[in-house]
Amino acid sequence: MAGVDLINLSKAYGDTEVLHDINLSIADGEFIVFVGPSGCGKSTLLRMIAGLEKVTGGDLMIGDARANDLSPRKRNIAMVFQSYALYPQMTVAENMGFSLSLERRPKDEIAKKVQEAAETLKLGPYLDRKPGQLSGGQRQRVAIGRAIVRQPQVFLLDEPLSNLDAALRSETRVEISELHQRMKTTMIYVTHDQVEAMTMADRIVVLNGGYIEQVGGPMELYNTPATEFVAGFIGSPKMNFIKGRFAEAVGAKTLGVRPEHFTIGSGDNSWEGRVTLVERLGHDTILYVKVPDAGVLTVSLNGQHQQQVGDIVHLRPKAEFIHKFNDSGRPIAA
Amino acid sequence: MTRWLLLFILGVIAILMVSPLILTVFTSLKPTTELVNPPWAPPVNLTFEHYVRVWTEGGFSRYFFNTLVISTVDAVVMIVIASLAAYAMVFMEFRFKLLLQILFLIGLMIPVTAIVLPLFQIVRGFGLLNTHLGVILADLALAVSVFVFMFSSYFVGVPKALHEAARIDGATEFQIYRRVVMPIATPAVVTTALLEFLWSWNDLLLRLLLMTRDEMRTLSVGLLNFQGTMTRDVTGLSSGTVIMAIPVVLLFLFFQRHFVRGMTAGAVK
Ligand SMILES: Nc1ncnc2c1ncn2[C@@H]1O[C@H](COP(=O)(O)OP(=O)(O)OP(=O)(O)O)[C@@H](O)[C@H]1O
Ligand SMILES: [Mg+2]
Repeated sequence: MAGVDLINLSKAYGDTEVLHDINLSIADGEFIVFVGPSGCGKSTLLRMIAGLEKVTGGDLMIGDARANDLSPRKRNIAMVFQSYALYPQMTVAENMGFSLSLERRPKDEIAKKVQEAAETLKLGPYLDRKPGQLSGGQRQRVAIGRAIVRQPQVFLLDEPLSNLDAALRSETRVEISELHQRMKTTMIYVTHDQVEAMTMADRIVVLNGGYIEQVGGPMELYNTPATEFVAGFIGSPKMNFIKGRFAEAVGAKTLGVRPEHFTIGSGDNSWEGRVTLVERLGHDTILYVKVPDAGVLTVSLNGQHQQQVGDIVHLRPKAEFIHKFNDSGRPIAA
Repeated sequence: MTRWLLLFILGVIAILMVSPLILTVFTSLKPTTELVNPPWAPPVNLTFEHYVRVWTEGGFSRYFFNTLVISTVDAVVMIVIASLAAYAMVFMEFRFKLLLQILFLIGLMIPVTAIVLPLFQIVRGFGLLNTHLGVILADLALAVSVFVFMFSSYFVGVPKALHEAARIDGATEFQIYRRVVMPIATPAVVTTALLEFLWSWNDLLLRLLLMTRDEMRTLSVGLLNFQGTMTRDVTGLSSGTVIMAIPVVLLFLFFQRHFVRGMTAGAVK
């Protein structure tokens, strides 16, 4: 097991730099999630750690060793691909044991380790099948199994759940978390889904346009976002950003209020608006409210509420939870 | 209606294609006395005497063995070098890759007949005239571009992630080639084996040019023995032709399924 350190790391394809000056220290055993919008460089960063992309600037340390120029096989890492990338001609057992057989480990040792991994992942009955004869979820588990069998120093996962349906996705999410707690191996997990990031990560790295926006625990990112971008990216439904007179009233360029931080009821400082859409989820009711000078705001109310489309409501942001941002998208200290 | 028309057209084409072969088989089985009958008349008294004659006196046992050795070596070695070269072209990065690709492309475009003379001189220069090795090397060099191209177009369809997964699993390039990529390239392997075997089996020009000694000859050259300037041993020629055709027909029947798949594999990715 080992930590990973990225020191002034950058990546350029030809003349275009796609990752800029990345500094990050990942502790041994940590579960780190890279999130960000499509094209921000998450996969590229992960693939640099894996050794599949050349480092073009800065240093990459795995454990205590500089790994910039090590080939993937010397890095002792395992990776789960979005497309699973299982070897089609090999059985499940052969897929999982492939890395060990390359190391010329004894057959019975390989069989034993594959068996153990298969039990953990409930793959026992499928060991003799080919990947083509498995469902998407089972293939996914084989891909994870292939990674854990070799007990790597670092575990890399690139959007491993994006090909699964919603139910299977949340199930597998829990399993990966449990796996991490059991194995205590450093895991680096790439996703563009902030729910996955929030639920699994010890720390989240938010990337945007090739820069790190913020690194922190899920609650830290939620409560004290370092930029407007992070504030908008973390949290679901998305934070409302209000410009204009409401923002100026509190001395900010942009005022950020999370949907769950509104209360309904008139009084001074309340904003009047008309409901344009209602989504009833049972545990939550989500209102879309058109407020003059503020635009359409998302309001998330706990429990079930009776508002109808067309109703006039009065919104009040909870003062202690509002976020104020200046011209450059930085928070203004309260 | 169109169905019947199609069947009719196909039928006519099939007859046109097969009839020379059938006539040849008929002739090869006729006693010499029946040669006065028209060629499409089936033999009345079947005889294998011509086969025996051609095989023993005609030296076809020797020619058959020579051809088999050359063609088999050609096919096997071609699979190895063409797939290795294509693997490097598709999966690896190295300097002068573009240059190599262009050279292979040029190799595709040069007709053998255009370089017969320099080829002869080169082979002679290496002292390889009248050796099987000389013919085999010339065969391989002349056809390697085609098969590198074929393997490449097959490998391009192999997901990049598979190669990357294997690298992360700790495989060297050669291990990836042997244990990950080649096992899923069966259609390309079979197609290469068949095509190269067939080309080598049927080729006349290079054999005629590079091997003049009788004990080195192949079947295609051997057939010429039956054709003098004045005379023609029709029965000998026919049975020789049949002997030469049998292995090819058997191979195709056996590998038909793979072969068709390999031919189309590059096309639909
Ligand atoms: N081989 C390449 N050559 C040039 N540019 C590339 C190459 N690979 C990736 N890029 C660029 O690098 C940037 C980051 O790509 P990357 O695949 O890391 O994004 P990502 O965050 O993983 O996005 P997604 O969520 O869509 O997977 C993109 O702008 C992309 O266009
Ligand atoms: Mg990606």
